[in-house]
Amino acid sequence: MSKLLIDVGSTYFKVCQTSGISQYFRDFKKDIYDDLITKCGNIFANYKKEDIFICSSANGGLSTLIIGLTNSFSLKFAKNIAFNSGINIIDTILYSKIEESRAPSELVDVVIIVGGIDGIGKVFDEKLFYYLKNVQYSNIVYVGTKQDVSFLSAQIPELKVLGNIITEKLHVNGGELKEYLTNLYQADIVGKEDIKHLYEITANQIYSTPYIVNRSLPLIDANFEVVNPFIVVDIGGATTDIHYSRDLVRDNIVSESGYDRLVFKKLGVFKSRETLIFAAKNNEFVYELLSYLNVTENILEEESEKALRILMQLSIFLVLYKVSRLNPLYVTLHLDLLNTIVLTGGITKVLSYEEVEMIMQFFYKKVMNLHATPNIVMDYDYAIWTLGMENNESKEPKCL
Amino acid sequence: MNPLQKICVNYTFNNVKIECKIIQILGQSMKVVTGVVGNDIHVVANRLIDISLQARGFEVFNLGVNTSLEEFIDAVVETDADILLISSLNGEAEGWCRDLQFLRSEYDLRDVVFVIGGNLAVGEAAQSDIVPKYKSYGFDLVFHQIDLNTGLDEIERFVKERA
Ligand code: B12
Repeated sequence: MSKLLIDVGSTYFKVCQTSGISQYFRDFKKDIYDDLITKCGNIFANYKKEDIFICSSANGGLSTLIIGLTNSFSLKFAKNIAFNSGINIIDTILYSKIEESRAPSELVDVVIIVGGIDGIGKVFDEKLFYYLKNVQYSNIVYVGTKQDVSFLSAQIPELKVLGNIITEKLHVNGGELKEYLTNLYQADIVGKEDIKHLYEITANQIYSTPYIVNRSLPLIDANFEVVNPFIVVDIGGATTDIHYSRDLVRDNIVSESGYDRLVFKKLGVFKSRETLIFAAKNNEFVYELLSYLNVTENILEEESEKALRILMQLSIFLVLYKVSRLNPLYVTLHLDLLNTIVLTGGITKVLSYEEVEMIMQFFYKKVMNLHATPNIVMDYDYAIWTLGMENNESKEPKCL
Repeated sequence: MNPLQKICVNYTFNNVKIECKIIQILGQSMKVVTGVVGNDIHVVANRLIDISLQARGFEVFNLGVNTSLEEFIDAVVETDADILLISSLNGEAEGWCRDLQFLRSEYDLRDVVFVIGGNLAVGEAAQSDIVPKYKSYGFDLVFHQIDLNTGLDEIERFVKERA
């Protein structure tokens, strides 16, 4: 019997059957389960629980605070691993400056502490405990030198200790931390009351949508006109994800996986519309960009079809800007080497190819100083997502 | 016997003699962070330095070419290294190393020996100008166009005297 694939997004559901994909806008007055049953209950009746697969990106994303010994190694490595696990970094603290650093005001999902290769000790001292007293967190994980483990564990009983992410040759070893963070992220998504209910519909594990998309990447070039290196940009209602080939990164990080991803938690066109507009208004290119699109900044305050299109165009620009050299805070991708950009998610239902092309031309000319732009592929039918979901049963799912 | 002694032989690589000695402090081999500073891609000396240091019994952290000063300092901090040995071949080290004192003061690195060598100026320059200049930036030992083994012998002598 064929399968039924469901994606629960923050703004709409996608439901994929052999006959095609349909989507339904969420009714925020109802919880996810009731909403889904009202809209698609009759479809579910045709499938067995074992044949229904669900993934969710509704309000996904955890926050982290990273405390590390140096910028070039501890913090850099941990930042990369956190980004690639879909975690939102609230702040990073350089340990030598911890006494002058302020604790974040919001609750942090996970604090990461890192520093030193194995073999060296006394990297951390009382300053750390003093600082942590003012931090509200749900989880805390240590991935630095082994020699400090007993000292830190004695003071922080809830400390989760994993293997050092810095190898004895000063390379990165992100496996354990990435698995831990990915599992936390996964647990957070499926632990949400709303999502837990969905197990009444499916007998299969519910995954996060970025995880599903990431899993289909190695298969993409067989199914699309895609030339490596490529990126997949998934612009949704609440978050925007970028999945990229590792060939686009030139850093001192050696990774075993061919593809990584970044999740921009507060960059979406519906739920995080405000933060998107805020980011846009603070971008040095935005006024030039708006005039290039023949609109004024008033459009950002409007609630119209046209305004939505402009916001989507802005989000493509902002997300590329965030991973460009102009924004060293994030992972930097060598966009000059990029051959293909694949757009997926809600954006493909709103923007035309030409509208995407306009933005790409602006970005490459203004930010990259290049005249040629990468190939644009529009994943109109969510084929990437379907590919990732279908790939579900062939392999035993494992953490990225 | 030190296990390193078993594999310790002198040999030649790229016409440079690799001398084997064992350098240790309190039974532990000393740690050296090395690499080529700035936008400098001359890699041959870097490989030689890596091999020579290992042959002399040092534990080497080689950051390779194109390394910024901050990365060097950060590597020293992460590894708790005893020596930072920077090399520069294209002559542009000066611009990259002026901030050494500042970066050094960010961490407690008083016990670390700071060394620089290679071609430390663009074109011709006198030792008597170069050496004091780099010392004023915070380097303990400066080797402008000095043969590698001579320099490494000098470093070992300096470390032993300090210890
Ligand atoms: C091969 C070479 C290149 C190759 C490098 C390939 C590679 N990836 O390694 C290429 C063609 C790419 C190249 C490019 C350039 N090069 Co070139 N290159 C050379 C050349 C011919 C040989 C270098 C070499 O490998 N020697 C063999 C190694 C073993 O010797 P070494 O590098 O001198 O190192 C020894 C010592 O310096 C010493 N040493 C080094 N570090 C240290 C540290 C310590 C502590 C100690 C004690 C000793 C020490 O020990 C080593 C072994 O004895 C030299 C000229 C020469 N004959 O030396 C020019 C030379 C180094 N290059 C030079 C220049 C100017 C350039 C360019 C700027 C040219 C340009 N205008 O584009 C670019 C720079 C590119 C960049 N971003 O760095 C100049 C530097 C001039 C200066 N400092 O005043 C040189 C000296 C040529 C010259 N006479 O003008 N170069």
